[in-house]
Amino acid sequence: MADLGVMALLLGLALSAYSAVGAVVGEKMRMAELVVSARRALYMTTLTVTIASGALITAFVRNDFSIKYVADHSNTLMDRAFVWVAFYAGNEGSLLYILLTLSIISTLAVWFAPKRLARSMPWTIAILAVIQLFYFGVLTFVASPFELLDSVPVDGRGINPLLTHPGMFSHPPLLMGGLIAITIPFAFVSGALIAGNYGDDWIDVARVSAILAWGVLGTGMLLGAWWAYTILGWGGYWAWDPIENVALMPWLVLTAFIHSIMVQKRRGMFRMWNVALLNIAFVLAQLGMFINRGGPVVSVHSFAASTLGIIFLTFMLASLVFAFALFLWRMPQLKSDRVMESFMSREASFLVNNFLFLAVMAVTLWGVLFPLFSDFARDVSVSVSAPYFDRANGPILLGIVVMMGIGPLLPWRKASARSMKQWFIWPTAVGVLTIVVLVALGMQRPVAIFAFGVVAFVAASISEEWWRGTAARHRTGDNWPMAWWRLVNGNRPRHGGYIVHLSILMLGLGIIGTNFYQQRTDGALELGESLVLDNYRIEYVGNGDSSRPDRIAQWAEMSVYRIDPDDYSTEIEFARSQGSSGFTLEESQPRPNDELISQIQPWHGFYPDFNMASVRSGIRSTIVEDLYVIPRDFLSDGRVSLAVSINPLAWWLWASGPFFILGTMVALWPQAAVERRPTRRKIPDDPEGDI
Amino acid sequence: MPIILGTLLALVSVAVIAYPFFGSKRYRMVSESFVTREKLRAERLRIYRKISDIDADFTSGDLTEVDYLQQRDVLRISAAEILREESGAHSSDSERDEELEKEISRLRDQTAQPREGGDTL
Repeated sequence: MADLGVMALLLGLALSAYSAVGAVVGEKMRMAELVVSARRALYMTTLTVTIASGALITAFVRNDFSIKYVADHSNTLMDRAFVWVAFYAGNEGSLLYILLTLSIISTLAVWFAPKRLARSMPWTIAILAVIQLFYFGVLTFVASPFELLDSVPVDGRGINPLLTHPGMFSHPPLLMGGLIAITIPFAFVSGALIAGNYGDDWIDVARVSAILAWGVLGTGMLLGAWWAYTILGWGGYWAWDPIENVALMPWLVLTAFIHSIMVQKRRGMFRMWNVALLNIAFVLAQLGMFINRGGPVVSVHSFAASTLGIIFLTFMLASLVFAFALFLWRMPQLKSDRVMESFMSREASFLVNNFLFLAVMAVTLWGVLFPLFSDFARDVSVSVSAPYFDRANGPILLGIVVMMGIGPLLPWRKASARSMKQWFIWPTAVGVLTIVVLVALGMQRPVAIFAFGVVAFVAASISEEWWRGTAARHRTGDNWPMAWWRLVNGNRPRHGGYIVHLSILMLGLGIIGTNFYQQRTDGALELGESLVLDNYRIEYVGNGDSSRPDRIAQWAEMSVYRIDPDDYSTEIEFARSQGSSGFTLEESQPRPNDELISQIQPWHGFYPDFNMASVRSGIRSTIVEDLYVIPRDFLSDGRVSLAVSINPLAWWLWASGPFFILGTMVALWPQAAVERRPTRRKIPDDPEGDI
Repeated sequence: MPIILGTLLALVSVAVIAYPFFGSKRYRMVSESFVTREKLRAERLRIYRKISDIDADFTSGDLTEVDYLQQRDVLRISAAEILREESGAHSSDSERDEELEKEISRLRDQTAQPREGGDTL
């Protein structure tokens, strides 16, 4: 299998080099055969990478430990279901997966490219081929997944235990796929600029491919947060880890792009700005590859140390120079002759939202790069931790949510004061009322209360949009459901966007709840003892363990009771006086009124080969709050050390995922052609024109 | 076996990329006029989409009647001009005028006339 894999990669290397050169030479010399041949070479790279990937997967299935990568990332005990995960468990396999994704989407994009882009397609093909060439080169000469061992071990090392989680089947592939997918809109736009196509012909291709990359990347990040929440055992879901950040940054820029591209579509403005955004997103994606695969930082997400840093850094810098040199070269032709008529307009609100997205990106970028600069310049290791990101990005993110409510209420071009008053009064009233009610209910934390008010304001503005449109259609004779359906169907990008906005609000609820109102306690329990936090009592009722060749696993059986705090007023008072939010109870102390509501089984495993611990938190989840139990350690005296937290509104974080995907799909779903040309005669086609 | 498969893959690849040079089909670059027509067609469809969007905006109350009618007229004129350009090389003046009238009348039929006042944006 190793021979086949190596041959396939070498062939792919040659094909992508040929494709890049052939496309450019063919275009310059007007040799159609050469351009068609180059395009076919690009298609063929997909076949070669698929065969190389198949060879690696077959090696995993056959436990072919003569291949170093297989021996490093699997063993005979590994469940066959994890072969897919083992495929990208290390750098070499990840790079092969990235190349596989890139080649498939490149082929699809070029295959389905509209013919009006024919003039720029050779350049687009060349750009795609050069990027593929880079990955083929790395896989062939620097990080081959088919490297053979001198002596074949009896068994492999096994898969990284942190990867043996359902989320790992999709989180890394989506994240890597999303990052590399940004190449497609970048290649189309750059190809158009090189070819001198300054118009809006690339808008639809760029918009669709950018939304696809954005949706995949966003879903990947959300799955990663879920993975962190359930397996890493620190009780959080987002740590502003460099690896998380390098996925977030291009996503933020793409978010700005898919808003501002609507302005270009609708008003013919922001063309230059949109090209710049795509360039930034692409370069940030390369930064992501550098930090993910180049290994300059240590992270729970970078599963293997790497010496590829300098190679990826060079490629990233080359991407940066190419993208912005091209931009500067074509900038004069990209200027729009239209001007913004008013700051009270939808296009202005999109511009503000773009600046806010870029501000979050810039803050995050600084937090990512500063430790690298420090390490490089002063040889001092520093880390930028979550408080910096929370303090700097929190207010800007809140500003973005505010703009989510304002933007849809503003019309294109300009708004009048009267209409502003008319459309803003209801959402503002809902937002203010929410704040008043929360204050009246005695809630603490003014910032969080304001944030809840903002969420309510945005939800009301979306509701108002839907209500207004649906009512207008209802008045024309449609029943209510049909009226709403026609409203959404009539402008899917816009209403798909609203569904995504709703998902962001759900995410916002989870973030506010868990960040501002989380309660935590910890303690060590003997069998029969309980830990009390807020109105939960967690009783340690049993345990178990198992020893396998690859791990030692222990778990605790926990009964969860809902308590009446009045029954425990003495203990609660005492705990508060000690500055603690929770307390332990001995076996005889629980009150009879406690209501058993759930059984949970938090789990703790230790993997000697990796010298690594892994936990599965015990979680009781409701739409109001999660009870989250982490087994820190099973002590030698029979006690279990627990960290317990109550995470308000955490359920909404994960519930937002399906809405995010649904909204993205609605926004992407092709609009039916509005009008067909009434042709008396068919306009002659160009049947012999092939490229 | 892997060597044979690899060699086979190489041969197939060479055959696929060499075919345009040696196959019976003759290739040529897409003509400038075809690209222009495709661009015009795409631009025209984009304008139709915009007309549909402003129609929806007006129905939802997002556009005032004045703005709606003004924008719709601008877009219809643009569509008509593009249609004229598209038809230019292939039809006589009378045929072109006839086609334009049909197109505008279809647009008029399709675009719902404002029923509500819409003292809106």
